[in-house]
Amino acid sequence: MTNVTIRVQRFNPDVDQKPHLDEFQIELTQGKTILDALHEIKEEQDGSVTFRRSCRHAICGSCAMNVNGVNMLVCDAPLKDFVDRRGRVTIRPLPYLPIIKDLVVDRTSFWEQYQRVKPWLLPPDDVPEKEFRMSPDEVKALQDAEHCIMCGACYSACQVVAMSKKYIGPHALLKAFLRVLDPRDSAPGERLTDLDQGDGVFRCHTIFNCIDACPKHLNPTQAIETLRKLVMKRQAFEAARAQRQQSLDQPISVE
Amino acid sequence: MMRIFLLQRFSAIALLVFLTLHMIVLHYPPFHIDFDNVLERLENPVWKAIDIAFLFVVLVHALTGVYMVITDLDRLARYRGLITWISVAVGAAAFVYGTQTILAFQAP
Ligand code: FES
Repeated sequence: MTNVTIRVQRFNPDVDQKPHLDEFQIELTQGKTILDALHEIKEEQDGSVTFRRSCRHAICGSCAMNVNGVNMLVCDAPLKDFVDRRGRVTIRPLPYLPIIKDLVVDRTSFWEQYQRVKPWLLPPDDVPEKEFRMSPDEVKALQDAEHCIMCGACYSACQVVAMSKKYIGPHALLKAFLRVLDPRDSAPGERLTDLDQGDGVFRCHTIFNCIDACPKHLNPTQAIETLRKLVMKRQAFEAARAQRQQSLDQPISVE
Repeated sequence: MMRIFLLQRFSAIALLVFLTLHMIVLHYPPFHIDFDNVLERLENPVWKAIDIAFLFVVLVHALTGVYMVITDLDRLARYRGLITWISVAVGAAAFVYGTQTILAFQAP
């Protein structure tokens, strides 16, 4: 049975001045994920190793970490795929975020920016008696953005976030995209105005790190590009939206 | 921010044209860098105008790019106004200096 060296970045703010790497040996067995390896370390070697996890099925987003320099969900990452030539796997917390302890980071700025885009639906005053009607095309356009699990992998991979925590960030812009294009939402114009601020859509440098990092293979960069176009054509877009909204409770015409 | 973003994108498109022309005329066969050729070209006011426009577009593209990267930094965000004015001043000075050089270029 092969052994693998797992290097885990450790940092205890009560004791340490700066983070350091601790090494642990574990067996590489069939089907073991990086999260399994961390559990094994915690249960059998060092109970003080601290990390977040919950679902173990790549759906809660809490186990996002940086493995060999790449952000990912460790519950979804087979250990054998990440062993380097020296037989090591290096696990660090998500970069550019303050470390609370070991692999646990402070996500305050992540959630603050998320709140800033008002990620909830703002329905129109005259809500239809039955359900809103949306065409399959409209649903399809939004579906990708719906799959975001808010793990923070894209946010902490973004170089602009690295320099400024005031930037809205790819996660929140993806959600804003969802709301702006949702025909049921009543405030796309205001949303676009907010996104046009100094720390909004035009701050993105199109580096594509968010796409590489997303464990759900979403495309925040494309969403940001779309939002930029809409910000520039705000008036026309708002007019088209208002028209569409009037017909939300009508049957959808098939053309 | 939107205006700066657009300035950078439009200047990038213009740069594509100018740089292609620049590379063809200065570096690729049958042309090559040759002082006599440069002299001959700059005798022509159209080439001088092209060079001045090239200089302008390069400055706009470079300075908007640097501005965007510098203002990314949280610590410098409150100096945004000052950085804008410094960029404009640097751009204007470089443009005047460069234009003078181009205009002064004459065959002996
Ligand atoms: S533990 Fe829930 S996504 Fe990994």
